[in-house]
Amino acid sequence: MSHLRLSVFGFVLVSYSGVVCLAAEPAKPLPREEWGAPPIKVTSADGSPLGSAQVLVQPLNLSATTRPDGTYQIRIPAARVPAEPVTVTARLLGYKPVASRVILVPGEVVSDFSLPENPLHLGEIVVTGAGTVTEAEKLGTGRSSVDSTLIVRSNESNVVNALAAKAPNVTVNSSAGDPGASSYIQVRGVTTITASDGQPLIVVDGVPVDNSINYNNPSNLASNASAAPPNRAIDINPDDIANVEILKGAASGAIYGSRAGQGVILITTKRGQAGPTRYSLRSSVSLDQHGRLPEFQHKYGLGTGGVSPSCVSGGAINCAVGFTEAGSWGPVIPAGTPTFDHSSEMFQDGYTTDNNLTVSGGDERTTFYLSGGYNYDRGMVVGPNNHYRRIAVRFNGTHRILDNLKIGANVSYTDGNGGFLVSRNSTEGLLLGAWRTPANFNDLPFLDSTFQLHRSFRFPNPGPGSEQTSRRYDNPFFSANENLATSTVGRTFGNVNAEYDATSWLTFNETLGLDYANDERTQGWPWQTSTTTVPGAAGVGAVNAGYIRTSQIDHNLTATAKYKLSPVWAGTVTLGQNLNSNSWQSRQTLGVGLIAPQPFDLPNTASQLPPYDYRQTVRLESYFAQVTADLGNQLFLTAAVRNDGASTFGVSQRRNWFPKGSAAWTFYRGAQGENRWLTFGKLRAAYGQSGTQPQPYLLASVFNPTTLAEGGWGPASSTQIGGVGGLVTRYNLPTEQLGPERVKEFEAGVDLGLIQDKADFGFTYYRQFSDGVILNVPVAGSTGYTEKPANAASLRNIGAELALNVRPITTRDFSWEIGAQWAHNRSMVTDLAGVTFAAFPLSGGTNGLGVQGVAIKGQRIGVLYGTDFVRCGRGLVINNVKIDQTAGQCLGAPAGALYIDSTGYAQLDASNNYVVGDPNPSWTGSLRTGLKIRGFSVTGLLDIKHGGQNYNGTRGAMDHFGTSKESQVFRDGGNFIFGQTYLKGAVAGPGAGMAVPLGESWFTGPGGVFNGPVSLDVEDGGFVKLREVSVGFTLDYPWVQRLMGFTSIDLRVTGRNLKTWTDYTGYDPETNLGGSIQATRGIDYFLMPQTRSFLFSVTLNR
Amino acid sequence: MRSSWSTTLATALLVLGAVGCSNFLSNDEVTGNPNQPTSATRDALFVAFQAGQFGVQEYGLAQVACEWVQQCAGVQRFSFTRGTYDIIDTDFNADWAQIYGGGGLKEIREVEASATTDNEIVYRGIAKVWEAFTMGTAASLWGDIPYSQAGPDNPTPVFDDQMAVYDALQVLLDGAIADLQSGIVQTGVGANDFVYGGDAAKWIEAAHTLKARFFLHTAEVRGPPAYTSALAEAQLGISTPLNNFTSAHTQTQGEQNGWWQFYNLSGFGQDVVAGRFLAELMVARNDPRLAEYFAPTNSPPAAPTYGGQDPDGTESAVGASQLQGTRATPDFRQPYVTWQENQLIQAEANFVLGNAAAATTNVNAVRASVGPAPGLPPIAVTSLANVMEEKYIALFQNIEVFNDYKRTCYPPITPFPNPSFSGVIPGRLFYAQSETNVNPNAPSVAQQLATNGFRNDNDPAPCP
Repeated sequence: MSHLRLSVFGFVLVSYSGVVCLAAEPAKPLPREEWGAPPIKVTSADGSPLGSAQVLVQPLNLSATTRPDGTYQIRIPAARVPAEPVTVTARLLGYKPVASRVILVPGEVVSDFSLPENPLHLGEIVVTGAGTVTEAEKLGTGRSSVDSTLIVRSNESNVVNALAAKAPNVTVNSSAGDPGASSYIQVRGVTTITASDGQPLIVVDGVPVDNSINYNNPSNLASNASAAPPNRAIDINPDDIANVEILKGAASGAIYGSRAGQGVILITTKRGQAGPTRYSLRSSVSLDQHGRLPEFQHKYGLGTGGVSPSCVSGGAINCAVGFTEAGSWGPVIPAGTPTFDHSSEMFQDGYTTDNNLTVSGGDERTTFYLSGGYNYDRGMVVGPNNHYRRIAVRFNGTHRILDNLKIGANVSYTDGNGGFLVSRNSTEGLLLGAWRTPANFNDLPFLDSTFQLHRSFRFPNPGPGSEQTSRRYDNPFFSANENLATSTVGRTFGNVNAEYDATSWLTFNETLGLDYANDERTQGWPWQTSTTTVPGAAGVGAVNAGYIRTSQIDHNLTATAKYKLSPVWAGTVTLGQNLNSNSWQSRQTLGVGLIAPQPFDLPNTASQLPPYDYRQTVRLESYFAQVTADLGNQLFLTAAVRNDGASTFGVSQRRNWFPKGSAAWTFYRGAQGENRWLTFGKLRAAYGQSGTQPQPYLLASVFNPTTLAEGGWGPASSTQIGGVGGLVTRYNLPTEQLGPERVKEFEAGVDLGLIQDKADFGFTYYRQFSDGVILNVPVAGSTGYTEKPANAASLRNIGAELALNVRPITTRDFSWEIGAQWAHNRSMVTDLAGVTFAAFPLSGGTNGLGVQGVAIKGQRIGVLYGTDFVRCGRGLVINNVKIDQTAGQCLGAPAGALYIDSTGYAQLDASNNYVVGDPNPSWTGSLRTGLKIRGFSVTGLLDIKHGGQNYNGTRGAMDHFGTSKESQVFRDGGNFIFGQTYLKGAVAGPGAGMAVPLGESWFTGPGGVFNGPVSLDVEDGGFVKLREVSVGFTLDYPWVQRLMGFTSIDLRVTGRNLKTWTDYTGYDPETNLGGSIQATRGIDYFLMPQTRSFLFSVTLNR
Repeated sequence: MRSSWSTTLATALLVLGAVGCSNFLSNDEVTGNPNQPTSATRDALFVAFQAGQFGVQEYGLAQVACEWVQQCAGVQRFSFTRGTYDIIDTDFNADWAQIYGGGGLKEIREVEASATTDNEIVYRGIAKVWEAFTMGTAASLWGDIPYSQAGPDNPTPVFDDQMAVYDALQVLLDGAIADLQSGIVQTGVGANDFVYGGDAAKWIEAAHTLKARFFLHTAEVRGPPAYTSALAEAQLGISTPLNNFTSAHTQTQGEQNGWWQFYNLSGFGQDVVAGRFLAELMVARNDPRLAEYFAPTNSPPAAPTYGGQDPDGTESAVGASQLQGTRATPDFRQPYVTWQENQLIQAEANFVLGNAAAATTNVNAVRASVGPAPGLPPIAVTSLANVMEEKYIALFQNIEVFNDYKRTCYPPITPFPNPSFSGVIPGRLFYAQSETNVNPNAPSVAQQLATNGFRNDNDPAPCP
């Protein structure tokens, strides 16, 4: 068989008009003797060679990829050379594709392509989900896309973190600075209350993957008190990601139906390309330091009322400081007495190393991509239990078996291994103990030198007999060294796929995907632990061990037909089927009372509680159809509908329709080089519906073997008598009527290219209405039940998103760009079916702080709910006086004025809960800039959150214990007047204007975090963060290749989270106690501060 | 041609994929909950509703009754508020749920239905007695209640008139007695009956005593015929203290006596102490049950002294006793329906019907039974108060004492001066907010307060 080379000659670049076809001069065969004379290259407009560009002979499905010098070669079997002209297209991400019609003739000839830059991404293929693709300018919805460059540059090991500040209205919250700590991502507004955690569906290469976060043993351990495990998206190696598309709303996500209610994140991994085999080795190391820490006072020591506890001064063995004496409200520490820095003493410099090797390549029929990554994050806390390590390997390959049949596989395996600190809201936790320790207690050594027993400020002199006694709070060094919490994850996910061109107009695509993970967990509490969260383990220790398994199988089959009704009316029709089965299973056992001090092993425990044993399976059977119409290459219409059947839907609502429709009108498309301020203009509008599935098993009528409704007073009363088990039905009235929560969204916007593409601007406005949001609605107790899950509530999110990118200078050697993003979302609970408030799951009670994230009719979603001070205008009765109607009390005072009673202090209003804060920001934004001078590049990224309140429980607790600088300032400062020198604002009441001292009795009493109102610790949590500054240098000179054999070497230094500007008085406005398991935001309680990192990376390419 | 074959094949696969798994979404594996039982045996339901109703008789409702008749007193926190009648509608949500929900009426009826199906007629009779006991307690505390229409199928049941509920319970108990007398037993209830171990004869006695109790509940309105019926039933009622209807508890966590749990595990145990009226009455009588009910206010070797507290906080001179007598053990079987009550029902009926001599015999039988032998000396019954005093002491911690008080106004206690109830002890409880919130047939709190002076049909006259 002879091989031919393809030649195109006489190709003229006609216009800058951009999108699809560039008209070519009539192509003519080139005499054999002439070939070889012109350069055989794909170049950019300024003449630089472009490597990695794809040159495609469309009708023959043959392609080639250019070498780094821009050259390429396509081999065509002689038998397949058609007589008529064919379209040959050259594409490269970031450049406008250029196509040409040529007549193929026998002989070896070559062609040039000169690709203009494409800042507006025109013609770029966009993945739109469930096997559908389109081109950027045909999208009827705003596009939010993040490419591999930005992800790799961020150098985050968790892909969710890498998306921070990359797209408007895509909010990322890293819960803590621990290695492997979970991160929360939210797109636009929350559209659910109880059915989901409010986070988008993540789809990798067409297959949904698990992004859950699982705490240890939910039946026995408070979710906010154990170690903080990762969200499972951490198993995706960010280096493997080619592109991330974020489908923000129902208009874009409707193709995923009842799983798209919170948005969809589509991740595409890298592929190999035909051409020489490429190698890339990227190594980075970063130095991770703690960010801002709370300010401590070093003036007053351990004690209460200015007096030291007697047991300390006496130095008695085994003395335990009483609860009330355990603050830093003792005497002034005498000059010369050493004090200790408990804010940072347990921190050291952590480091992260990341190494990735990729090998990719292929030929016209076969491509492959192989990668291996090793990421190790050594946390910034002393001791052996603060690390996360990920080993990830991936193989992506395709092979064309027949000319019209291509098969492929994407397979990855991830081994994750973490050791976690116990921090958060637990008495055995690192920071809870550390930041309550008085300045005059030395935490070191943490084991008593004589007896080798745990010392802490509440138990300074341990001795024989205290081997199995709680210390009330752990010494932070003990916590860091002796507690154990590990997770070992093996996870494989990927798919096999086939693409079959049945005819020239009909293509079938099949993707069969799998995602399986097994997470082995062990958590150990040693002897002398202070834990109060594990039943019966204080002092004697405990072990929790077990596993969490997730598995998901997904089948997605599509048939896509192209049609052309007339020269100006063409399009596609897609039909598809999707089957999905998603399982979750966990078995964990808690053993209490270590028999010997070690090992942390269940047989070494005296007794074991009934195991936590839970499994669930959710299935989905769906069909979808999509029709597109391109009218005159100007108006692009898309209509789609998905029909979802889910096992969690009620029998009568087993199948549900999710329609969408969109229009994009390219009203202006300027010609190349045209000197107008407007070079491209598109208007778009879209409407769509998506949904959220109910939690599984709400429909099943079940019995419960454990507790009764009237649980009496102590531990809940059992259904068992004399060892004979009984069963009762629970509170939920079984229902058959449950359907999906439905999100209906309209969005419209405009995309503009300005000033010869030197600027682009996008604006999107959206209105989302969520109906049928699932809520437990009360039912009459006489039915035998107390509540019933129902599609009862309604929510609303309205917002706008803006993006502006300006490229003032774009020359070959020097370029400068600036990008700005701004987003606003205003949420509202419009109907709550008469329920007073609905707490987000795991919000109420479980955080132990009295503050909840709730939905309340007429309020924004997720407002903070808790107690407040007594205020005027609420119709309150204080000491039998109706204060609002009584002179000298609140009469005449403005509503909301702080009520000061005759003692001169504000008072807790324990009678009611109020909305005390709103964690939703008024707007978010980011500002980015990039400067490039030859091989040098500098980029910077500012992340802005404006408004949004946090509950600063850390500050409140440190005030209570008197360890904070703030508590000392008040204590030193004499008397204060409410409304004037303290808690500024309107005041009323008999004690208004009185000057009173603020000290221990205030901060441990009515103004304390444990006894006072929640509202006292709510403050503005807005911030501006210098998220990233990066300086890079690329060596791609010929001598690099000549001397070292690499095509390019990339050197980069990056600083991350370098600086925060905020009014927030806490250490980090971004922490959140709930991590990523729930939609409640803005609760700050002794989580690890975020890291500030300095990072150096080297990339070698060949 | 090959391509069109392929097209056909692929299309066929697509269609097959659609129809190949018709129960993909609906088989038990995915719709049933694999983590909890989806069905329960009759025995499991029976065990659980006994546990549930032990709770109803020993937790919040019993404590409120105990405080309101001043057998107990609330010292602080919610026990104090309830003892001074500062009640709100949410206070009773849990009790309401336990009467109607899991471990309550719903499952008692399921046990009856299942026993009918399996021809376990004696078993059904036992469940019917439980139903009557449970709903009679509810009717006595709340008055008109959902009963005929209560159940999972009706989200808005009507409230049946209190007297109609009592009448229905008499019919129910007649049916229960007939079932128990039928002798039809397959495998039977056996050891799962924690009250009588499946002894039908004892259940028949208990059913008669309950009938007598409920006839007395109607006596203030219906007069002598009610007393005549009560007397007749009581004569068939519990024949010996050995046949008392009591709860069953063990030392195991969650299975303990409710009063013991409250004192020892709730953290609020010290909040409830002996009522001054009861404690001083028993001290005056030198009643041997003092040590059973209460802890001394002093320590050995001094002779034990006992005292109590009034709702307003006034203590006996010797202080207030804790509820820590000899009966305060985790496995104490709390008496619910007893031989003593049965005797004293007869005493009250005999006395009201003009047979004081018979009443005296009944009262002295109870006095003689008080341990240690020979018990309390006999007395001559000259007033209803003589009868009711015996009952007031004998039925310590029993909700029935509150019903006796509403009918007879014994004991002559001084109510706490709470202006919300015009200086008297409330005649009933608020309906649970969980019901009034969503059932339009339920009267609002304001309507409840405005009806009959917050008293029930069977209680037309307030106590002073």
